[in-house]
Amino acid sequence: MAQSYNISAGFIQSTQDHPDRPFYCDAANTLTYSEMGAIVRRLASWFSSGGRPRRVGILATRSLEAYAGMLAAGLAGAAYVPLNLKWPEERIIALLNALSLDALVVDAKAAALLTPAVLAAAPDKIVIADAAPAIEPRAGQDIVRLGAVEAQPLDAPAHVDPDDLAYIIFTSGTTGMPKGVMISAASLSSYLEQSRGWTKLTPDDRLAETCDVTFDLTVHNLFLCVEAGASLHVMSALEMLAPGRFVRAREITVWLSVPTLVAMMRRNGSLKPGIFPSMRLSLFCGEPLPAAAAQAWAEATPNGVVENIYGPTEATVVCMRQPLTEPAVVTPSRGIIAIGTPFETMEVAILGDDMRPLPDGEPGEIALSGPQLAVGYFNAPEQTADRFREIDGKRWYLTGDLGVRDGDGVFHHLGRTDNQIKLKGNRIELEEVEMHLRRAAGSDMVAVVAWPVVDGSAQGLVGFCSSTLDAETIAGAMVKTLPRYMMPDPIHVVDSLPVNVNGKVDRRALVARLDEMEKAGEPAQPRPQMAMAGGMS
Amino acid sequence: MTELASARIRETIFSVLAQRGQPAVAEDEPLFSTGRLDSLAATEVLTMLEADFGIDLADEDFDILQIDTLRDIEALLSTRKAA
Repeated sequence: MAQSYNISAGFIQSTQDHPDRPFYCDAANTLTYSEMGAIVRRLASWFSSGGRPRRVGILATRSLEAYAGMLAAGLAGAAYVPLNLKWPEERIIALLNALSLDALVVDAKAAALLTPAVLAAAPDKIVIADAAPAIEPRAGQDIVRLGAVEAQPLDAPAHVDPDDLAYIIFTSGTTGMPKGVMISAASLSSYLEQSRGWTKLTPDDRLAETCDVTFDLTVHNLFLCVEAGASLHVMSALEMLAPGRFVRAREITVWLSVPTLVAMMRRNGSLKPGIFPSMRLSLFCGEPLPAAAAQAWAEATPNGVVENIYGPTEATVVCMRQPLTEPAVVTPSRGIIAIGTPFETMEVAILGDDMRPLPDGEPGEIALSGPQLAVGYFNAPEQTADRFREIDGKRWYLTGDLGVRDGDGVFHHLGRTDNQIKLKGNRIELEEVEMHLRRAAGSDMVAVVAWPVVDGSAQGLVGFCSSTLDAETIAGAMVKTLPRYMMPDPIHVVDSLPVNVNGKVDRRALVARLDEMEKAGEPAQPRPQMAMAGGMS
Repeated sequence: MTELASARIRETIFSVLAQRGQPAVAEDEPLFSTGRLDSLAATEVLTMLEADFGIDLADEDFDILQIDTLRDIEALLSTRKAA
């Protein structure tokens, strides 16, 4: 019989090898491998009652139901599909209609989203949290509580072929609707194979889960955790705002988050040297990691190592990494940690506009090739063809990220191709402006947006930062290091920046805020002082 | 914990709820853990607790689960006062 790629096989193995060890832990629950195994086996069997399911939706996050649902879908041989609880009703309905799911898992927080219109588009089988309010199903629909699922437990993982899907994760799309990235079981298997060696998880490890399951960093944590028999400690959205106590009380050993979380802790003064002695491995991903933030985290975790990892969802979580060394390998123009070198199985190229590889030292678009590449975007052949290209007989994914390879073979991230703007004929990288704003404001919590945009062309730059300094002082410092045409004006000093569900700074929300302010008749006028500061240069 | 402080906390929480189209909550109803309010709203509440009531967010052992209900928040502030 051919090899099976069932994604929950590692979990099932651990239910046998480590039955009494804790697996799933959150503020309210601690479940051992054996306890979770019983739930997952019953649920997988229920999913399979009409034959092998192909797609199971997860309208749940940071909850027992979310994790039971993902593992049970995998055990039954289905791809799991996380659906974002923050999506508006219309979008949830559109995606449910497009996905034709075999079953849907809903946790207590998401139960309120099950309106009659959503239920009409939802599959016939729905499992909801025991704590959820009662919900009236539509005709032909079965809504069962997780604790009341009656089915003969599924013992053996369903046979899964390498090309079968492991999961579909949605990322923001330029067309207004999110794109569903389809990752095969073989890609996930290759990813785990490449990640085992350097993460070296053991049953004694305690991993913090900082992300929603709609973000594929959770793929890394979940599947490496279960095959090692380690425990997964899922933080609530509230605990994310002050993570110190969570990490200390649970003696977390492995951390993975977006760097914005570090910035937040630095800003409120809670990230102090030595506070996390239990931590042995800290990973940052999802946005540029400022060198100063990496070093501050390293001081807080004196017994651990820090790594910056890089990769788009379209290439299965990440495919490059750069450990924090002394001195740090920094991308000089941006003050951030390099993105390092690729996994052995993955190839990285820097391509020019003509899709030919560029020599070291020349910036271009980062392209990826290898076994971790996604199958493509769900139901979107044109978008798939646009980003996944055949070049010289090899399949490549074009990331839209700008990068460069230095003389040592280390890759550096230089921003997004789509954050490059032209302002009065000048080519401007927003990330570069942000670096100067970060320095001038003495803060990691900064963002620069192109605004307003008239007929698709940017008219100006607006800066946001949280800082103890006032806007005049910051502008005065910035204009010393930045050409005047690159100055954000005005600069808004704010208490906090909007972040998306995964803690990344949400530039789109900032643009929306500026649009609203303008509508409300509060034009964001450039300050006269700025003109003076500029005039002096 | 003065009557005035209590009124100020209620006012802030209720206005955050109203901005998001949510009805007022009872003393023991969770604000955040049930998803009623998001983390941006929690940030607003934290900012108020820090600026107006001297809650020390730089304390690495600060237990943020203590702000999940109105009763929790009031209890948190009264212990701080006593300390």
